[in-house]
Amino acid sequence: MSVIKQIMWDEWRYWQRTRLAITVIITGVVLIVASVIVNAIGIQHAKHEREHLQHAAESRFAEQPDRHPHRMVHYGHYVFRTPSPLSIIEPGVDSFTGTSIFLEGHRQNTAMFADQRQSSGLTRFSSLAPSFLVQVLAPLFIVLVGYASITREKEAGTLNIMMTQGVSKRHVLTGKLFALLGAGLLLLLPMILASLWASFRGESSLVTGSYIVGYLLYILVWSGVVLGVSALSHKSSASFAGLIGLWVVLCILVPRIGSSTAAALEPSPGKLEADFAVLEELRKLGDGHNASDPAFEQLKSNLLAQYGVETVEELPINFRGTVAQYSEKKLTDVLNDFAEIRMQEELSQAQIARHFGWLSPAVAIRSFSMIVAGTSLETHHRFLREAETLRFEFVQSLNKVHQDKLDYQVDMNRSKSAETSKAARVDASNWSVLSSFSFVPEAGGVRLVQGGTYGVQLLFWFGVVVLFLNLAMRRMSE
Amino acid sequence: MREEMVVASSLSVTFEQHKVLDGVSFKVGEGEVFALLGGNGAGKSTALKSFLGTVTPSGGSASVMGLSVASQIDVIRQKVAYLPESVMLYGHLTGVENIEYFLSLAGITSAKDKIESALKRVALQQDAWYRSLSNYSKGMRQKTAIALALLREAPVLFLDEPTSGLDPSAIDEFNQLITTLASEGSTIFMVSHDVYGACQIAHRIGLLDKGKIVGMFEREGDNPIDTEAVHASFSKRNG
Repeated sequence: MSVIKQIMWDEWRYWQRTRLAITVIITGVVLIVASVIVNAIGIQHAKHEREHLQHAAESRFAEQPDRHPHRMVHYGHYVFRTPSPLSIIEPGVDSFTGTSIFLEGHRQNTAMFADQRQSSGLTRFSSLAPSFLVQVLAPLFIVLVGYASITREKEAGTLNIMMTQGVSKRHVLTGKLFALLGAGLLLLLPMILASLWASFRGESSLVTGSYIVGYLLYILVWSGVVLGVSALSHKSSASFAGLIGLWVVLCILVPRIGSSTAAALEPSPGKLEADFAVLEELRKLGDGHNASDPAFEQLKSNLLAQYGVETVEELPINFRGTVAQYSEKKLTDVLNDFAEIRMQEELSQAQIARHFGWLSPAVAIRSFSMIVAGTSLETHHRFLREAETLRFEFVQSLNKVHQDKLDYQVDMNRSKSAETSKAARVDASNWSVLSSFSFVPEAGGVRLVQGGTYGVQLLFWFGVVVLFLNLAMRRMSE
Repeated sequence: MREEMVVASSLSVTFEQHKVLDGVSFKVGEGEVFALLGGNGAGKSTALKSFLGTVTPSGGSASVMGLSVASQIDVIRQKVAYLPESVMLYGHLTGVENIEYFLSLAGITSAKDKIESALKRVALQQDAWYRSLSNYSKGMRQKTAIALALLREAPVLFLDEPTSGLDPSAIDEFNQLITTLASEGSTIFMVSHDVYGACQIAHRIGLLDKGKIVGMFEREGDNPIDTEAVHASFSKRNG
């Protein structure tokens, strides 16, 4: 053990005295620390702002004066997605998908205010997330620090001298691996501290623990890859070229190929095309604002029969409110069907892209990171579904108020004069039908189960690297 | 009879169907300086590496201090010292730090004054002891490596072209040091193409050509080996 420790410490001493490696490590750490701080401040600010806006939107809705209930259906309401604690490290799809939705009757609006949509080209660099830095740049830093770990000893002839001191290849590789892991851990340290902080801010300890273990595995995999290639190479230049090539393939090309393959295998229609398809279906349902629309004849007949009356005027309920409820239900079913199809398409694409985690550890850690942090596509879909549930509930509650608390005749005469319009209002206390909205990602255990496959991908890469290091040890020339 | 410290028995090494060593046999006794001479490609370094376990023989056997290289190389490596042709050690460390580090790898903790006295013994100038090795000449690096071997109290030293690239005064110093070590009981196995230098210090010289021992020369009494005879034989085979 002490031999391994000696080799590890000497590697650090070499990095420190040659300055290049230590400069690379310090640069990486500073970059990640800065990114963690900037993101943490940004996310905390966004969290408070969205919580405040959510509260303000709910108060504004509740404070509306007496009105016709259907005006409130169109007055609408906003819901905001508060970021998960771990999004200070992993913003995931949040910065692309939008954080707020305007809810109103008869429509399912898309989420708005995505950071990436609002930023111009250059300012996007300011949003370098810690997760991106660790997933993509940390391996590059490890390559820069460790590509010559073994080749340097071969070129200088010191590997032979080490061997003749009774040091085995296993000792050399293990000592160098620990040194490289130490450098990787330094790069990871800001993220580990941020994860602990997320735990302190309410994230489950099991989640943050697993999250840290996932990234440790990732750093271990890259340290092993770098060391193995260095052990198998005869010259530092060959090791460097090989590792840079591997980094480009594993961190840049495979993730891109994964996304392109997913889009090719699971093509989804454009937004315009999808909107036209929805409109075509909705047209068949009739206009819920018009109680005389032939589409509601059956509803009318059924109601008249149910109450044993001849005309809608004789009904004990406001037929317009009933039509609005009926129409909203039918319309929501159609919208939900389309929304589910779209979400399934997006999810299928994401899952195809995630399968590329078997080909690249960078894809594996990205999938694991987003899912466990609660910033994945699944979490965004959960937000859309919860927002839609709220929309449907408050719209239907208002439609019920319309049906039960507003007289049909008064309603029909609402446009005749200022007085009739005023009479066709309901009391503002009815606006309390709106439930408060607070979005939280799935429970930690659920996220860990969802991310399990990608944790297995990381373990697979760990296994591959162990085998690779064994091979490198056997074939390592002196 | 002196104890046999380095033994090659019908040692053969084949690289890609080319026989680099072809049934080489010799024995080196305790306190003996044995030099294996030969031209480029004669198989000298391969023979040396066979004793360090860095090449695998295709036939025959090699042993050091009675231990088989094939099965006990880890034990052998703990007992011998090796000086490569180009002693590099670590440029980022001082001479003393290099020795400390390699001793620690061998599981030896040595006090600074012991290291300093070893450096004094190999005549490395004092102002260089705590200077970065990147500023050392080849001779200075070699002295540092020999100091390391002394501190390891290695009974067998393997030297690969030890005088190549050294200036004449450094060669003299080196020869003196090797002679002293041998007289103290160290066994020295060196490979070289420096006929004159080998004749000065070796007790025996084996002449290697195309992987075979083609001549063996032995010192008579205290007189150095006849340089002319070795040179004539060497030149005959190497043009």
